[in-house]
Amino acid sequence: MVSSFCWGCLTRLRPTPRAVLPPTVAAPRAAAFHTSTVRYALPTKKKNSLDGPPKYRQAKSARMKKKKPVERARPPPVGERKALRKRIVLSNPNALEVEGMQDFTSETMVDARLRGSILGLPVPMLTQLRAVEAFKPKQGWSIFRRPGTVVRRETLELGRLIDSISNEGQDKGRSVKKIVTGVRGSGKTVHLLQAMAMAFTKQWVVFTVPEPQDLVIAHTGYAPLSDETPNLYVQNEATATLLSRTVVANEQVLKTLHVSREHAALKSSVKAGMTLEELAKLGIQDPAIAWTVFQALWAELTATSAASGFDKNFKPRPPMLVTVDGLAHWMKNSEYRSVEFEPIHAHDLVFVRHFLGLLKPGTGKPALPNGGLLLYSTSASNNPTIYSFEVALKQIAARQAGLNASAPEFPQADPYSGADKRVIDAFDSSKPTVAKEGMLELQTLGGLTRDEARGFMEYFARSGLLREKINDEWVGEKWSLAGGGVIGELEKLGRRLRVTD
Amino acid sequence: MPPRLNLFNARTAVPVFRQTSINVSRPSIATTINSNRSTRHGLKTGLSSSTPMQKRYNSSASGGDNSERPKAPTEDPLPHVSEEAAEISKIMDKKCDGTPASPELEQGTPISEILQRDKEAQKHMPKVMQDQIKSSTGTRSFSTSTRRSQAELHGQGKSFDEQTAAVMASMISQVNQQAEEFHDGIKFDPVETLPKTENFRTRYDSLLEQFTKLLMTDGKLSRAQKDMAFILDHLRTAPPPQPNPKRPLLPGPPAPQLPLNPVLYLTLIVDSVAPLIKIRQQKGIAGGGASVQIPVPLALRQRRRTAIKWIIDGSDKRRDSKFAQRVANELVAVAEGRSGVWDKREQQHKLGIAGRSNLGMVGGRR
Repeated sequence: MVSSFCWGCLTRLRPTPRAVLPPTVAAPRAAAFHTSTVRYALPTKKKNSLDGPPKYRQAKSARMKKKKPVERARPPPVGERKALRKRIVLSNPNALEVEGMQDFTSETMVDARLRGSILGLPVPMLTQLRAVEAFKPKQGWSIFRRPGTVVRRETLELGRLIDSISNEGQDKGRSVKKIVTGVRGSGKTVHLLQAMAMAFTKQWVVFTVPEPQDLVIAHTGYAPLSDETPNLYVQNEATATLLSRTVVANEQVLKTLHVSREHAALKSSVKAGMTLEELAKLGIQDPAIAWTVFQALWAELTATSAASGFDKNFKPRPPMLVTVDGLAHWMKNSEYRSVEFEPIHAHDLVFVRHFLGLLKPGTGKPALPNGGLLLYSTSASNNPTIYSFEVALKQIAARQAGLNASAPEFPQADPYSGADKRVIDAFDSSKPTVAKEGMLELQTLGGLTRDEARGFMEYFARSGLLREKINDEWVGEKWSLAGGGVIGELEKLGRRLRVTD
Repeated sequence: MPPRLNLFNARTAVPVFRQTSINVSRPSIATTINSNRSTRHGLKTGLSSSTPMQKRYNSSASGGDNSERPKAPTEDPLPHVSEEAAEISKIMDKKCDGTPASPELEQGTPISEILQRDKEAQKHMPKVMQDQIKSSTGTRSFSTSTRRSQAELHGQGKSFDEQTAAVMASMISQVNQQAEEFHDGIKFDPVETLPKTENFRTRYDSLLEQFTKLLMTDGKLSRAQKDMAFILDHLRTAPPPQPNPKRPLLPGPPAPQLPLNPVLYLTLIVDSVAPLIKIRQQKGIAGGGASVQIPVPLALRQRRRTAIKWIIDGSDKRRDSKFAQRVANELVAVAEGRSGVWDKREQQHKLGIAGRSNLGMVGGRR
């Protein structure tokens, strides 16, 4: 709209006196070309904030509302979290029962037709296996109806070996020493578990060290063995635990055996007609004499004949299975300290020294005179890197291949690498002189074959955990994905859930 | 009736005639449209069918010509200025109208086609044509270039085509069968499309991934994955839920079978308590600064996110020492209808129903 004023009129307008203009309070401030309204505007009201006067010495930035932590009345009791962490669940009632699954018996453990199938662990044996801590918390037992293991080639070989050692025949009473290695997840611990299950079916005596690391990380008490040998240290609590494991697991066998000789160190408490179970329980009740009791028990179990005067109840001793799982922790300095605050080498602990000494060929009589099996395995997941131990394992393999220690190809430790001589010596076993004693062998576990892998995956499918068509193509694919049938990786693939939609 | 010329032959054989035939063979835009107008007239009378035919052939021939031979400079005389302007305005008008310029309308339709479509017109068509249809023996006394109408009018030709097509199809299928039998050149079966979870980027189920990432705190995804593995193992091993008839899970497998497929179990739980809507507080609709509750529909992912948030919040009140254990217990509680998450969902839906009337205000505003 054009203004009715002309330019001339506008320019001739004089500023009006103030009193004439009404104070236009309501006019907005936004009209910048008016100066008068701003001049007459009422003073802006102070904002009355709810918080009262402005706060000058406080942070003015926006404050995030923090969630109040929930009051949990009491912290979980001591040991509850660890118990939850170490809990071993062997059964899942929701999983389907696998039809036609056989158990470990003396027949099935040598049956080559069962290769690639799953053999269940018999239910009465589970308490024994739990007692010797054959199961580890991170293994996937908890998703199946009942625990079972795959029969692979190595299992059948082991079954035949244990069968031949315990049965009448040429190999009766043989002692075999093996160190089991292999990549991570290749089934070393389960191999030991299978050996224990077979040994229990054959009524052997089983000694196990499930966690060698626990002996060297200074978590149990230690003391010098005696005044004569101030460099050797004894761990009484750990020994008592070993005795209790052994007693619970081998109760049936030990109850039938009786003391066959006099034990000078335990003169007061050991009587003539005592069973070996009662003898072992002495050590559990009084950990102070646990090591002495263990030595007495070992002497009894390795006895081939009774001393004079103890002939009455003497029965021939059964073969023994000794397993150690995770050997590398014993090959370095322990966390214990001597009086001079020097680190104590693991080989100076009598417990460790005893079990490593079994690897050496015995003088006069074998290390296990009644026959048996030493199965020491390495670990690949919790494993300190020890150069001298690696060299020692290579030397065992070379010796097994028939190489002489003086041959130029024989693997030697690098002289400048500071290799631990004691470690290499511990495995440096010469040819055994006794007929029934075997050489120290190195057994490397690899992957399953495709047929065994197929049996394993079918077990998942038949338990209702895997929803796939199991055919050769699919199994081959998973076998390759699992690094050539490494069973731990296969298990992960079997548990993996795929909902296709 | 214009004379029938075989323009192709004429042009190639006697190049001298080119100039004379120009007006027919390569008409300018204006002439083409002019002639079309006349054609439309012709259609109305319904007498001559040969004129549109010929126009069509001409236009197609001219199109082919254009690409074939180079243009002479004096070949294409421009029309009069006023004529051209008139035509252009016509074209522009048409475009502005937006009416689809079908070629049939522009170029005309053969009368035979119209007759074929229109049964009523067939009754009243000229006697010559009726006779022609009746005496359709496949042989004619006259020659014609209207091949198209011929094929359509004579039913026999059609059936013959069908027969040959059937024979061809049988031959092709036979060859295919033989190829299948011999597997010539095909070593493996054809690849099926891979399921989504086979790609490593999307290897987890979508809900599983969403839940895991909502479990995550401080960006520790690996820890969240461990928690999720614990939760799934708990769902797998815990006793199957006793469903509450008042608060049932979504339809799925029966409850005893749920633990065997923990991912499905988890999906059912989350989807069952997922709300359909959220409530938006909107100010300024009602006036006076009052906010109005507007229900807003949620997408699937948003619904799940809300439900998972509620479940995790609900698990915070539990007493178990381990976070994953708390969440797992809360999930089982939801499955059995014991959890407070159900109340939250009901409350949300109630608010949404109450706020339905406010939706009109939103629409009026817009």
